Amino acid sequence: MRILMVTPYPPVRDGIANYAVQEVKHLRAQGHDVEVLSPEPSAAHHHLELDHRRGPLALAKRVREYDRVIIQFHPDMFFPPDATGARRIETTLGLLTVFRLARQIEVRVHEINYELGRGPSLLARLTRSMWRSVDQICVHTEAERQRFADAFGVPLSHIEVAHHGQTFIRRTEATREEARARLGIPHEAFMFLSIGFLQPHKGFDRAIRAFARIGPGAPDRPCRLDVVGSVRLEDPDYLVYLEELRDLAGSTRGVELHEGYVGDETFDLWIVAADALVLPYRFIWSSGVVERAHLYGRPVVATRVGGLADQADPGTLLVDDDDELAAGMRSLLGVPAAPRPPAAPWPGGDRETVMAEIRARAAASRGFADRTLATAPARNGRGRAAAGLASSAPLRRVPPLVLPSPVSARPGVSSVKRLIRRLTAWEVDPLVTQVNRLREAVIQSVESTPPTDRERPD
Amino acid sequence: MRVGTLGLVPPRYGPDVVGGAEAVVREMAAGLAARGWDVEVLTTCARDHFTWANEYPPGVTDDDGVTVRRFPTVISTGREERALFGAAIHEGTDLSLREQSRWMNDDVRVPELFHHLLDHADRYRALVFAPYLFWPTFACGQIASDRTILMPCLHDEPEAYLDLFRPLFEGSRGLWFLSEPEAELAARIHPQLPAHEVIGSGLTAPHGYDPDGFRARHGIDGRFVLYAGRREGAKNWERLLAGFATATERSKLPFSLVTMGTGNVDPPSSIADRVIDLGFCSDADRNDAFAAADAYLQPSRYESFSRTIMEAWLAGTIVIANAASDVVRWHCERSGAGLLYDDDPELEQCLRFVADAPGAAADIASAGRGYVLDNYTWPVVLDRVEATLDSWLPVAETSCAS
Repeated sequence: MRILMVTPYPPVRDGIANYAVQEVKHLRAQGHDVEVLSPEPSAAHHHLELDHRRGPLALAKRVREYDRVIIQFHPDMFFPPDATGARRIETTLGLLTVFRLARQIEVRVHEINYELGRGPSLLARLTRSMWRSVDQICVHTEAERQRFADAFGVPLSHIEVAHHGQTFIRRTEATREEARARLGIPHEAFMFLSIGFLQPHKGFDRAIRAFARIGPGAPDRPCRLDVVGSVRLEDPDYLVYLEELRDLAGSTRGVELHEGYVGDETFDLWIVAADALVLPYRFIWSSGVVERAHLYGRPVVATRVGGLADQADPGTLLVDDDDELAAGMRSLLGVPAAPRPPAAPWPGGDRETVMAEIRARAAASRGFADRTLATAPARNGRGRAAAGLASSAPLRRVPPLVLPSPVSARPGVSSVKRLIRRLTAWEVDPLVTQVNRLREAVIQSVESTPPTDRERPD
Repeated sequence: MRVGTLGLVPPRYGPDVVGGAEAVVREMAAGLAARGWDVEVLTTCARDHFTWANEYPPGVTDDDGVTVRRFPTVISTGREERALFGAAIHEGTDLSLREQSRWMNDDVRVPELFHHLLDHADRYRALVFAPYLFWPTFACGQIASDRTILMPCLHDEPEAYLDLFRPLFEGSRGLWFLSEPEAELAARIHPQLPAHEVIGSGLTAPHGYDPDGFRARHGIDGRFVLYAGRREGAKNWERLLAGFATATERSKLPFSLVTMGTGNVDPPSSIADRVIDLGFCSDADRNDAFAAADAYLQPSRYESFSRTIMEAWLAGTIVIANAASDVVRWHCERSGAGLLYDDDPELEQCLRFVADAPGAAADIASAGRGYVLDNYTWPVVLDRVEATLDSWLPVAETSCAS
């Protein structure tokens, strides 16, 4: 059968590309004649700028040549991020044409905005019509299947759930010891691994913070956390996040950040070398890393977001917050998890008492004033801490500096703003980081300065 | 003496207009009309203060005894200068008066309203303009200063300090403020304030609440906290979302965040499934939501009164508010019915308190209803309004052409 697969494709580093190449390999192994079309130059046979205005129609001209067309769908592949409503309609019409012209069309949905299918607008109606034109839609979890059907009015019989890792294959046969030798990881250490693109929604900062709570282990049984990956896009926000990860890793004993491009085999080598994976995603549809960990039998502790609950096998521990994340890591380490202390009861009574308790607990969670409060043996000690908090309140009310979103309601202005943001990021982002560090430092300084006689509480 | 026509001039007016100042003007108009005043509302055809699109037909209509005259808005530029100078104002750059003027005029304008007042201002015993920031107030409020009452709804925001507004504040016949902190702010910025009075704002307590009905109508199960109003940067909506996301990430919280009002919601992906947007809701639905919520969140730094916290207190619901707003902090401390936060960790602990100790939270909130009923009901407010009208614009002194 002659098959066209439309997808991001290696050597572009991309989770979907990674997924697609394994499916291509699988199909070719079955004897199919598979050609690949990618949205940018790659190892694919063809490339088309699919997010260009004429992209979908150019694709429509080609699909009749194939018996079967498979699209690895991500909205960004077809819709520019700043697409106007009119542009979305145009692209949706183009895709509708593609879907109608193809002899057999299958779409693997990796990400989608369900809201686009709801409501009476022209775009919503076209979007529903577009998805109803697809012969077979493939999602990765049962929950996604249900949501897709609800949002776009597609019969459930047209939507199948494909196990995310069904075509995944091992890329290394190294043993744990061999992998560690090649990566320079000591044999005896218990190793946690967070691997993937370094971007905020992957939550690797949470992994480091959780690791800081469990510590680097005993001398005879050290433990470590390795964070491995690269920044996918030179997006200013991602670069700021990378800076944050560097700071966190640099200041947390037992944590190493390995920045840079990781090839397929090395990627698996890291997994094989690890004793457990830590994937505290803030948001994700489904995770190829979880599947690769399954492939090698490595346990995973991950947050319960997106489709991970459906993906989880018995070796996956799902957690809901940072306390549970740290507890989960402890349990994987074999350290009896410290029972979660029962929440201290809140004081009853008047508002002032409750407000004082709220401020004390918030100070403790900030990690600075708690020491003052915790070590304050007497009333005066607590009084000083309270005075420090009161003094820092005006500073804390000034929110951290965040650059305004480069968006505008005026046509085309968002693109210009984004361009300016990229061009000036090298200069502006360090300033933002420095301003926020100064803010933190001033708050800490104010809170630690003994009150003057005039301010000293009784 | 209830003699003469009162002209109330808000930039937008209608039951489906979202905005605190606009709501105050509408209820005030109805209240004064019910007391026997001849009340006319002079406003635009716009519903939305971003697009200023003309959505209501121009002309004269009757809104429960209040005459409403609508005039079309005009936007004849690309508003580039508005954006440019607006950004400069927020960066703290000093602008010349000429630049401030270009900033003001490169926006919505209502020439027909201006000319109506130019022709007919002397028909009105008083002209009440609110809020201070928009072109209709700025441009039209200076046509007949001798009978202009400014209800500025002032916030401690960069625009408030522009010299451009000095004639409006200092040249009006009088000013009505909604709270003491607002009046203090105005006096700090304009030491030469004319006669002024804190009239407050009135609320009408609903006859009852139906929290279960609200949940059933919207399919909301489980506990939730509420935000009602404009979802925009000026109201600190994005910061609230970020703080709520962080709190949720750090420690399990049982709350969804239900929101109603206008503007894009755009929650971070990590809490997208916890944020429920109901869009624009009826008054009854909104009241029921206040009663059903575990807490009402007020993240705004810029409030001159904050009707929504009063609505929460009337419903017996605790308020969690940003202490950066002088006005809201003042209400919370004076009433004893609201919790305050200075940063995200304190917001998280406020939420944690309400999650863990709903009974104690309800105890704290219980002081709120009495606070509102004692201070902010319409009869009390309208008495103050009438007293200032008689004092500042007595019938004998105000020649009304009508």
